[in-house]
Amino acid sequence: MITYHDQIELFTLMSKQLKRDVVCYAFGGNAMMFYGYKDETKDVDLLFEDEKGRQDFIEALKEAGYKETSLFKIYTEDKVKEKNAPLMFKRGEGRFDLFVKKIFRTVLSPKMKEDLEAVHDFKDKFNLKVNVLKKEHLVFLKAVTSRQNDFDDIKTIVKKEKHFDWQYFVDEVVWQYQNGNDWAVLDAEKMMKELKEYVFIEEKYSKQLYAALK
Amino acid sequence: MERELTLKKIEGLQTIETAARSLNMSKQTTLNLLSKLKKEGYVTTTGGGRQKRIYKISLKKQRSRDPGMFDILNKYSPKMKLAPWFDHQVHGKYGPEEALIDAIKTKSFRVILVSLRLFSHIRDWKKVYRLAKENDCWQQVGALYEVARKYFRVKSMIERYIPKKKFKKKIFLLERYKTKEKDFYSIEKKWNVTIPFRKGDLLKTEL
Repeated sequence: MITYHDQIELFTLMSKQLKRDVVCYAFGGNAMMFYGYKDETKDVDLLFEDEKGRQDFIEALKEAGYKETSLFKIYTEDKVKEKNAPLMFKRGEGRFDLFVKKIFRTVLSPKMKEDLEAVHDFKDKFNLKVNVLKKEHLVFLKAVTSRQNDFDDIKTIVKKEKHFDWQYFVDEVVWQYQNGNDWAVLDAEKMMKELKEYVFIEEKYSKQLYAALK
Repeated sequence: MERELTLKKIEGLQTIETAARSLNMSKQTTLNLLSKLKKEGYVTTTGGGRQKRIYKISLKKQRSRDPGMFDILNKYSPKMKLAPWFDHQVHGKYGPEEALIDAIKTKSFRVILVSLRLFSHIRDWKKVYRLAKENDCWQQVGALYEVARKYFRVKSMIERYIPKKKFKKKIFLLERYKTKEKDFYSIEKKWNVTIPFRKGDLLKTEL
């Protein structure tokens, strides 16, 4: 397991190994640690804007002793076959899932780039910039990755947040659907249906999702 | 689960008395509980001593933070403060030199205006020059330095960095904001950068 402080130290170490500036987006359990939602995570999920950035980061990871590992056991079979599946690197209990440009069929939307929750710069000779996505984006991405524990993480976020903007969430889902992610609406609707057992979600948001499918 | 329910009951700002009332507990038991929660990271405190102690209680863990751009800008701006719209933290060496470059890159009127104050605290002009060249914003740094110099006491720029030739590329500090203040025409001409500020804006940042 990777704790918050482990994560900070890991990123600091990576920044020392980099050969140029790299920008990435944190969106999984690691992003939840930045928020303070949880204390530890099994995996660090990162999204890179280009392949070069990911390759630079991979080189730094390899120097730190991480080795590439198979996606089976972690992701469902259909996800593994996806064109934009991640590369996975493991060392002991800690794991890095590295995506580039897309998280399966989900694109890095303009809203994701603009409305960041936090920016963590790890400065050494070169800079590793870790952008932390907004909580609404985290929930959406957890809904589409559909791994074990993802639903529990969604529950944690929605329960701990006083102000979860469902309209913002639905707008993002619809944008993703209109921009080629055919499963966005279905995954989000399924997640919201399950979540209604634990928190109150107004019916109008589900209606907006159905309307997008028409 | 029980911890979550307790935290929900007292989430927000509390004094020891209000927290005890909300939890229906004695003052001493509440103090013990808050001290435990503080160790776990759910509680931070302000005040104490002569002031009344205020407990800030949150459902999320309150992490200690490293200073970022907004912290540096607010530290050195005596009057005008910024409300950050995202949490910026830098893990590593970060001072006014780096914050100045980051501020220019935001392309935000208020952030750039407040960053003028940083020129009074810049010690390492060599570093500023290197960072500005790396980020392709030396013209902006030069123009802002000259504006700051008109209004505040600033550390002088090393002479060899002052341009001898004219800059070819026209730079807008903020898109569509032209220089309207006559006092800034000479700076605009020298650095080929438009200055979006009026005198009134600069007076707001003064002591």
